[in-house]
Amino acid sequence: MNFPILSLITFLPLAGAILLIFIQRGRENILRFLSLGTALITFIFSLILYFSFNAQIPDPQFVEKVEWLGYGINYHIGIDGISLFLVLLTTFLMPIAILSSWTHIQKRVKEYLIFILMLETGIIGIFVSLNLFLFYVFWEAMLIPMYFLIGVWGGRRRIYATLKFVLFTMLGSLLMLVAIFFLYSMYYKATGVYSFNLFDYYKLILNPNIQIWLFLAFALSFAIKIPLFPFHTWLPDAHVEAPTAVSVILAAVLLKMGAYGFLRFALPLFPDAVMKFLPLLAVLSLIGIIYGGLMALIQKDAKSLVAYSSVSHMGLIMLAIFALNFEAMEGAIYQMISHGLSTGALFLIVGILYERSHTRMIKDFGGVSKQMPVFSAFFLICMLSSVGLPGLNGFIGEILCFFGIFKANKLLAILGISTVILAAGYLLWMFQRIMQGPIKNEKIFSFKDINKREICYLVPIVIMMFWMGIYPKPFLRKMDSSVTHLLNRVNKREIYFTEVQKDKNLPVKIEHEMTKEKNEEKEDKSR
Amino acid sequence: MNSFFALSPLLIIVFASLLVLILEVFLRRENKNYLAYLSLSFLVICGFVCIKFWNKDYSYFDGNLFLDNLSLFFIFILVLATAFVILLSMKYISLQDTNYGEFYALLLLALSGVVIMVSSIDLLVIFLGLEVLSISSYALAGLRIKDEKSSEAAIKYFLLGSFATAFLVYGLALLYGSSGSTNIITIINVFGSETSLSLMALIGLGLVIVSFGFKIAVVPFHMWTPDVYQGAPTPITAFFSVVPKAAGFAILLRIFFPYWKVALNSQAIFWLLWIISALTMVVGNLVALRQTNLKRILAYSSIAHAGYLLVAILAQDNSSLVFYLTVYLFMNIGAFAAVIALSKKGKEYLELEDYAGVGFKYPWIGITFSIFLFSLAGFPPTGGFLAKFYIFVAAVRQGLVPLVIIGVLASLISVFYYLRIIVYMYMREPSQEIEIAVENPSLFLVLFLCLYGVIQLGLFPRNILILINQAVSSLSLL
Repeated sequence: MNFPILSLITFLPLAGAILLIFIQRGRENILRFLSLGTALITFIFSLILYFSFNAQIPDPQFVEKVEWLGYGINYHIGIDGISLFLVLLTTFLMPIAILSSWTHIQKRVKEYLIFILMLETGIIGIFVSLNLFLFYVFWEAMLIPMYFLIGVWGGRRRIYATLKFVLFTMLGSLLMLVAIFFLYSMYYKATGVYSFNLFDYYKLILNPNIQIWLFLAFALSFAIKIPLFPFHTWLPDAHVEAPTAVSVILAAVLLKMGAYGFLRFALPLFPDAVMKFLPLLAVLSLIGIIYGGLMALIQKDAKSLVAYSSVSHMGLIMLAIFALNFEAMEGAIYQMISHGLSTGALFLIVGILYERSHTRMIKDFGGVSKQMPVFSAFFLICMLSSVGLPGLNGFIGEILCFFGIFKANKLLAILGISTVILAAGYLLWMFQRIMQGPIKNEKIFSFKDINKREICYLVPIVIMMFWMGIYPKPFLRKMDSSVTHLLNRVNKREIYFTEVQKDKNLPVKIEHEMTKEKNEEKEDKSR
Repeated sequence: MNSFFALSPLLIIVFASLLVLILEVFLRRENKNYLAYLSLSFLVICGFVCIKFWNKDYSYFDGNLFLDNLSLFFIFILVLATAFVILLSMKYISLQDTNYGEFYALLLLALSGVVIMVSSIDLLVIFLGLEVLSISSYALAGLRIKDEKSSEAAIKYFLLGSFATAFLVYGLALLYGSSGSTNIITIINVFGSETSLSLMALIGLGLVIVSFGFKIAVVPFHMWTPDVYQGAPTPITAFFSVVPKAAGFAILLRIFFPYWKVALNSQAIFWLLWIISALTMVVGNLVALRQTNLKRILAYSSIAHAGYLLVAILAQDNSSLVFYLTVYLFMNIGAFAAVIALSKKGKEYLELEDYAGVGFKYPWIGITFSIFLFSLAGFPPTGGFLAKFYIFVAAVRQGLVPLVIIGVLASLISVFYYLRIIVYMYMREPSQEIEIAVENPSLFLVLFLCLYGVIQLGLFPRNILILINQAVSSLSLL
């Protein structure tokens, strides 16, 4: 395909942001419509991506490769079945995020919208990069708009939250950068060619002792982003302080970047180290599930309740990824998208409540459903989708995850199932306390039911929830071949592993001969 | 090629300086801007000369002064930096009542010293250049004669600077004693032919490093930096943070390029530099955390940057060093330009508190300053990221992984204080109304050019990299 559609999708939001710079500050509605238009057009283009995506090909499609800085630094992008849905999720949620902040953000609208659009470019860039340098550039550049969005438009403790967010993320990513340098020099030593190309690195067979350190650096960076259990402390702060739309993006997309990083980089690049750390990572995920759930139960603030529920749900996704089998992997990716929708929706719901009451404390509410019946229906659906009710999106993802985890380790699966029980607990309880019972607070009498704009952005999400819950095939089949390929890549190494072990002094080896053998095998089979 | 042309950049600058000094007598104080235009036009000529002489390799005085591509590149960026500083000063010196005629003359004289330094490999000639630079610098630091801080800066700079000079002379004498020459190449060759370095030579080399360590402000020779930076007039601070540093690194490049090839007894010097570099990165960034004065923050940040640059020396990667210096020129002068922008008659806003709310009140200053700070912190897609990237990649390739880890963690610390300035600019409500002198076209020109430089070098640096590679390849010709 010659038309650079992927670049278009990546940089269209940035172009929109640049356009916004030239529009007068006072014309806020023009600014809003323009940014909404940009986000919508981006979404429409990304739909083209979905329809012309060939599900049979496991390798990246829509590849564009242009030499950029030399020394192996190329502009190299493409998507496969894993990143396709994450890109779609991003482009799908961006117009919703902009719509949700239509009246919520009143001061400095122009800058806000510019940063939101810049953020979209950054996020899409992360999911499409196939060059590690490019990936890192987007990974870091994305922090800048995020830093401002939380820091300027956030709540009372916004400065603390935003600095914590940036410093935590950078701590991980800088160490990852050193690991990338190391890979780069290893690759150069092995082949004499400079390369940051991810697929070149896939061919590297590294000494397991080196892998451990490199894996730790990568894993730390992604674990902070996900966030895995001991690195999660930035998340509640950032979520509680961020404005609604930013919370939505943070929960729905940014957390997925960490999981995506594991899938794309940490697992296939360092399979031996993964095997070594698998128990630790699985236990951390499990702790995250239970700890996040328990913390969510005792939260007084609705927003931080949803934030801790993210910790719990992301723990399940990571547990499924570390099960390293087909069902779990597909379930994890499916659950990533579905968690993006349901948690994003819950943040929107909390945002709608906050706009009316200017409080997020659960105890200030009660009996809201009497005043806001339509809203109540939406809340119920979103909440049940997050709990994992059959017929809604959460169920499919969770059931697939548990199938896979059960196959890998029964004990983990049994303990992991507590995520569903806990989720039912804290979410239903929250729903009950906010929506039902007598109206205790007089302010609630003045609440108006959700308006057309709010319905407008909740309806697409709800439709997607039902669709993904009832007919998941169009999603799952598109990722099949990529997931199979990824698992092959992770498991295949064990076969060659022994060969490297024989020659312990050899730090690095290139896959050359092995691919040759494999091709021969294929030929044999075809004969 | 032996040619008188080799002297032309130097002569142009010295001539300009003297001309400014003479004309100054005839101009009234309000009209001192003409001197700036005059100096600028001479600097433009000098810049053109540098471009014209590219690849020509002129030399004179028996090869004691020469213009290979490396010197030309350095002269060019130093001239550029000085031109930026002059543009920054035009409004500033009349606002801050420092519009003495000597201002531009001293600036040009300092530049001439630097030009001598970068275009020679004889330590004695380098010493001459260094003295011209230093003495002009002492005077420049104390130019705000009514301000106690400025005088303090000048005296501190003078005393410690004299110490450093003495170290250099002493080291030079020892090197001469052990090798019989003051020419760097000859010295290193003599060392190379011996089996082990004599103690005298080692001490000599160490003393030379100490002396240049003072100029480029590395820990533990950095004590003067914050005070001098704070006391000197702000454009001069910008000058100090870039020009002597670039010149110092040019010399280190010239010393260590042949030295690493010989690599004799390199353990001692290697570990000395390793420790200095690690200390500089960590201490510079850590102390900057506690500062509340913008000039002091930038002073410590410039110390930290010297640490990153030393990593490049250790990694023996010359082009990344030169690239870093180029990017550093744009981002640091840009940051100082933004600081200078926030001033009015007789008053400069230098405390962090003053910056509350500035970002929204003066959007252009806010945006450009933020971009420079992001670049200094090393965020992509700015030049600062790419510069750090090249250095750290080279270092990892040389196996300096622990040093690189220290480096990236130190730059993580730096993120905090750079972002803190942005926090004040955008996320704090202003406690006081600040008014600034907005009409300052030359300053905005500098802001714009630096912004362009930072972004161009961050996204499409290939042309510059080609030039830099040509420049550093002239090192190996010697």
